[in-house]
Amino acid sequence: MNLKFNINRPKVGDDEIKKREDFDTLVKQFKEQSLKKAQGDESWWKDKKIRYTAVIAGVTVICTITYNSIINNQKQQTAKHETITTSQTHSTQNKNTAFVKAPSSALKTNYTAYKVNNAKGGSVTHTTSSKIKIPKNSFVDKNGKDIIGDVTIEYKEFHDMGDIIANGIPMAYDSAGTKYNLETAGMFDIRGYQNGEPVFIKPDKNIEVELASQTAEDRFNQYYLDTVKRNWQYIKIDDIHTLVSEKKSETKNAESPKLNEIKKQIDLVIPKKIDSVKVVYTTRTSQLQKPKEPAKPEKVTGKPTIGFEADNKDFPELQAFKNVIFEVGTENKNYSNEFHDITWSNVKMSEGTQKGKNYLLTLIYRNRVEKLIVYPVLSGADFDKAQKTYEEKLANYQSLLEKRNAEEKRLMAEMQAKQAAYMAELKKKEEEYKAERAKLLAQQQNEVANNFNTINNQTRATRIFQVSQFGIYNSDCPHKAPQGNSVNPIFVYEEKFLIPDFIYLIDHTQKSVYALDKNDGIKFAYNPANEYSICLFQKNNLYLCSKISFKQSADAESNKFKIVSLPDKADNLIDFKKALEI
Amino acid sequence: MAINPHFHHSNEQLNEELIIIEAAKLNPEQFAPLYTKYHKQIFNYVYQRMDSKDDAFDITAQVFLKALTNLEKYEFKGVPFASWLYRIAHNEVMQLFRTQKNKRAINADIGDLRFICEESETPYFEDYIPVIKQLILELKHDELQLVEMRFFEKRPFKEIAEILDITEVNAKVRMHRIIEKLKKSLSKLKI
Repeated sequence: MNLKFNINRPKVGDDEIKKREDFDTLVKQFKEQSLKKAQGDESWWKDKKIRYTAVIAGVTVICTITYNSIINNQKQQTAKHETITTSQTHSTQNKNTAFVKAPSSALKTNYTAYKVNNAKGGSVTHTTSSKIKIPKNSFVDKNGKDIIGDVTIEYKEFHDMGDIIANGIPMAYDSAGTKYNLETAGMFDIRGYQNGEPVFIKPDKNIEVELASQTAEDRFNQYYLDTVKRNWQYIKIDDIHTLVSEKKSETKNAESPKLNEIKKQIDLVIPKKIDSVKVVYTTRTSQLQKPKEPAKPEKVTGKPTIGFEADNKDFPELQAFKNVIFEVGTENKNYSNEFHDITWSNVKMSEGTQKGKNYLLTLIYRNRVEKLIVYPVLSGADFDKAQKTYEEKLANYQSLLEKRNAEEKRLMAEMQAKQAAYMAELKKKEEEYKAERAKLLAQQQNEVANNFNTINNQTRATRIFQVSQFGIYNSDCPHKAPQGNSVNPIFVYEEKFLIPDFIYLIDHTQKSVYALDKNDGIKFAYNPANEYSICLFQKNNLYLCSKISFKQSADAESNKFKIVSLPDKADNLIDFKKALEI
Repeated sequence: MAINPHFHHSNEQLNEELIIIEAAKLNPEQFAPLYTKYHKQIFNYVYQRMDSKDDAFDITAQVFLKALTNLEKYEFKGVPFASWLYRIAHNEVMQLFRTQKNKRAINADIGDLRFICEESETPYFEDYIPVIKQLILELKHDELQLVEMRFFEKRPFKEIAEILDITEVNAKVRMHRIIEKLKKSLSKLKI
């Protein structure tokens, strides 16, 4: 070989090698290459021969898969089922192949078996208080012949995220290409057998299941799990019968008179008393006699005067004055000496601009009318006498006024004291109302709880299903997949990386479980505002990334999620649910 | 013999790599940690067999592109991801040398040549360097690869076997034969 042979060639430095790293270009090239490849694949698809062959092959595969699925389902349903009336049975077979796959055999919910005579039909009440109503002659065998004798109904329910995970129920829902995840308000699995052979519900018959639900919310729809199409099938809007509201209203009606009486005192009786006190005392105050202030005599000032006889009946304040005359005020711009030359045919006096101080004098002669503001004045001895009388009357007036004011003040204080007493009574009643209401609410809650405890300590509503074929039915609310932060999670257990068999993202806020399929990649998105945890299984071992751990990773924008092993929580459903903090 | 840490992973390290690989299968962006981890190693492997530094960098880039493109086909066999990368790198450089023979070069240190003498139980003298060089140049293509890996890169047989896709025993047998061949040639040298 004619090759170049270098001895002791200088090494390329780490810095230079590092500088030549270009991951972005690598990814870019990869994407371009993938795109070209995809385009190449498309042109290949345009080849008619290949296309037709592929279509035929595809149809054949679909037919084969569908046929196999049906056959498998039938085979699974014909599995041996030895059941005794109302006994717990534990199915060791997975009836819906991998589509419904429990992550741990120890956690799966058992079926309860009920025996019903097909000719008679009947109604059974499940341990959760759910009712299964079976009309007579509802079942046929695989050949469409009526079943003679007893039919074993196998039934189990799933109510929360723990049940869903433990039983491997898929909650993804594809509605016309839009991906959703379902939040359940209750789910059940119902099956029928005779001597281990599956039976079928007659086309014109429905089994009615009154599912005892733990929520009374009415935002759910009914779905049926089609294990062949591997998707939930929408049935209808949920048929919900709320138990809580009925019980509440009963309790409320029974207790309302007592509470209403207090409410009546607060809203009507006491406020009316407060108002009436005000009215009474305002009236009494207004009835207090007001002393009349005596008119103060004014001395003549030298202004022009007009002499006429005023009627003291109309103006009693002038009675105290003898020989009163009226001075023309300077404000009368129309006044002139000419007024004294006219013999006025009529003179009228009325209240002036200042009561008791001045008067309006109307002078009339034929068509001429003049108005003057005049002031009553006294002169000489008349004034002195009037002044003396005025002072005596003023002293008396002031004394009477003081007495009146004192009485008015006393009445006011009395009124305020009574009002304060009523206000105190009102406050007391309000507190009494509050306490009584709290007491009643507590009583109501206890009564409701007691009522439910007698039926089921979780039931909040019943949801009625018409079952036309055996399988899994669900009362669900679809939620769109989270659009928030996206991660490719790495699960760290005791500083080692764990590759789980089953991964469930639990959205505690939305009460949804997302089963992450390893085959589709375990990338998931989450809403940072929601509370999450992750439940994992590896070879029947349970691992958990708690809410706190999840939040820590999310806050740090890390894709590494610390998990802990919970070996003692994976063998029974109660401990499992507690561990999940559901 | 030095131990290449990228060929000797703990189970945890292997798990970590596997998780990244699985993530990268879905999203190429997730491949970054592996690229960073192995870029230098792969460049050194390529550059060891070439004269041009730029060509070596180009081939290195090509190796990673090929790795990313074929990642879906990658199957974990209990050995570090590096072994798969080295095999791609090996194929890439061999492919290049088939079409452009002049790109091929042999790069060794004096110490490496001394090592060959020691392994061949032959005293080493600087005067021998041209002769040893010539002996190496006269080796067959597959023999040269083994010598490069064993004496110039100080790789253990397990690694060599992984890269060349042969068994470890086979690698050892072949290396023994090469040493015998070199020993025979070197023994003829006169001091």
